[in-house]
Amino acid sequence: MTPLMSSLACVMALAQAFFLWRGKIRLLKEGLLLFGFFVISCVFTLLVGSPNDPQLEHYPLQMLALCLCFSTTSLPRYRRRYLVMAQALWFWVVLFGGISLAYRGIEFPWARALAILALCCSSTLLSRISKEMEFCLMVFWIAIWILF
Amino acid sequence: MVRILFIVFLCLLVPGLASMGYSLWQGPAAWSVDTDVFWGLPISLFVFWIGLAHAGTLISAIFLVLDVKMERRTSILAELATLCALVVAAIFPLMHLGVIENFYMVAPYMDSRGSMANVCSPLVWDFCCILAYGFLSVVYLIVHMLSEKSAVAASIHRPLAWLLFPMVLWVHTVVSLDFAATFVPAWRGAFFPIYFIVGAVFSGLAMVNIMLCGEGYRMRQLEKLMLVGSWFLGAFLLWDWALKGDLNVVVLIFAVLLPQFWFVSAVRESTLGRVLVASSVLVGMLLERVFLVFPTGGSGIGWVDLGLICFGFGLFGVIFLVARLKLSRLIEGEEVLMGEVEESAPKRPATVKFAYFPPLTTPEFRALRFPLLLGILSCVLFLVWVVGCLEENGIAFSDVNLIPLTCPIVTAVAGFVLCLRPLVFHIGKVGGIVMVALAVLLGVLAGMVYGGVMSVPSGSVVSSTGDMFDVNALPDSTSSLDSVAVIRTKAVFEARCAGCHGADGRLNEKFVREYYPVPQDLDLARMDALGEDSLVNVVLNGRTNMNPYAGRISPQMARGLVRYMRLLAESARADGVRAKAGEGGGE
Repeated sequence: MTPLMSSLACVMALAQAFFLWRGKIRLLKEGLLLFGFFVISCVFTLLVGSPNDPQLEHYPLQMLALCLCFSTTSLPRYRRRYLVMAQALWFWVVLFGGISLAYRGIEFPWARALAILALCCSSTLLSRISKEMEFCLMVFWIAIWILF
Repeated sequence: MVRILFIVFLCLLVPGLASMGYSLWQGPAAWSVDTDVFWGLPISLFVFWIGLAHAGTLISAIFLVLDVKMERRTSILAELATLCALVVAAIFPLMHLGVIENFYMVAPYMDSRGSMANVCSPLVWDFCCILAYGFLSVVYLIVHMLSEKSAVAASIHRPLAWLLFPMVLWVHTVVSLDFAATFVPAWRGAFFPIYFIVGAVFSGLAMVNIMLCGEGYRMRQLEKLMLVGSWFLGAFLLWDWALKGDLNVVVLIFAVLLPQFWFVSAVRESTLGRVLVASSVLVGMLLERVFLVFPTGGSGIGWVDLGLICFGFGLFGVIFLVARLKLSRLIEGEEVLMGEVEESAPKRPATVKFAYFPPLTTPEFRALRFPLLLGILSCVLFLVWVVGCLEENGIAFSDVNLIPLTCPIVTAVAGFVLCLRPLVFHIGKVGGIVMVALAVLLGVLAGMVYGGVMSVPSGSVVSSTGDMFDVNALPDSTSSLDSVAVIRTKAVFEARCAGCHGADGRLNEKFVREYYPVPQDLDLARMDALGEDSLVNVVLNGRTNMNPYAGRISPQMARGLVRYMRLLAESARADGVRAKAGEGGGE
């Protein structure tokens, strides 16, 4: 996938995150939204990438995980907990997707996995999360997405 | 009602036991396997049951850590179902090993014979994960049942839930790697880890919903969660279809479309309707697992395979009902007894009052920091030791392949250390003596396993020159084996041996290099060095990971197989020489 499309995917994740956890949180509503975002991410991946590229097999899941990371900044309570969990999901997708691909001869994305893990671990040290810190976190996530 | 259910499950279990016995006696040849289906139904059933074994932990532990309150009875029932499903799930990979009595050899340690399990194999990861998950699930259930009466047990309930949270997801992720790490194109998928987790959680929720219906109880949030799971499963099925062009419509109908009937109020509000919707999910998920292993659509499934399916359901039902009745007082506490309530009030689970804790100050963190530290240290030491062993023995490995072993080690050690506190508090002096005695017994058992005592095949050792064996009736050299004998021996070799040794005698990469301690090649030089008699002995009486075949094949046939292998080794050497000559000619 080209860097431009990758950046577009990041913007899409950011846009999708805007709709999550708005108003009263209901299981079916949030579930339906997440399902919709996942389907959109799958269609986007198919349109801009090749289905034969193994590295894109878990790309929609990474987009969804990034979307969840962004969305945690709008949560009213337990933000640190869900922030860490969303990043853990992203790490999970990258780690185990990478292990599956490593068996097929594709190099494991150490830099991306370690960057997400480091950010995830350091997020546990965050105290009350200010607007400035939210912005910094989003910058870090975008940087990991685009640079690694 | 319970009695009728018990009889039904017993009726499933009895023929199932016959299939199980036949499978164990015959080995993998008893299942419907061919060139397309080289893993049999036991692996499908393993994935299905291990998925169901996620329900209890998901519902109880994850809800607990996320502060979603739910009835104690529902969560304990789900935990009990987890354990029962885990028992059933653990049987199938053992069967799949083929050498069931040597199952412990997949544990990643170096025994006194210098045999080391291949830590890069998903089967070794499975073993460690299931062991750690089983241990923690048992402890969690006990702690949960005691937590109402014991403050000490209650104090480790939430920390244990935090330990189980990643572990439950890790187990099924590792199960997915069994498939994702293969060379079979249809099984490849970097999205498999999450796909399998979604499938497992989805089927687990269906099982719990059926159980709650049986109890005359209802939890609407779980039904909604199951519905959300069906959407995601549908999305994954479509994504798989987009990548590989293969869509299983039957699974889509059962697991994705039929559950949408929940939106019809007549279905949703009737117990039978809810049972049918949840059963449809279970059928769909079972078919999904079966079709994964049977690309032909399961058309070749035989009576032994059907018997194994019955065995799984029968065993689960019997264990669960017995445990449910025996533990009913502990499970129900002061609440109503099973079946006395038609339906629970349709209330939303209340959330616990929000409380802010500064970083690293939560009570769970305080309880877990020391056990986790010990767990991480143990894991690091173990990995250093394993890497040393692998390098010393010249076994190639990748750092990435050691990662799946980390979580089970950390959580098992941390869970054990965490549980020591209430144990020491409760057991007193007599209990302490019992614990020491148990520890000594465990040490003796570990020593026996280390020494390989249990790997000596049971039963009498058959001599390669036994009564039934007439050495003069066999030709002296491979060159004089007539074609009929070769064809007959080849058929036996391909049925019994090719699974591990490969049809060409050069080892089946999948089954041997990944799933067992890495063996040496049986090339011509090594075969001649070991000698024919010695190899016939190994075929008949077994060795390390080789199953004993005495009683199943005659000594003559064993000798024929050894000679056939030598023919293959000769052929392999000739191929090598020709290839070398070709390279030389090219230059």
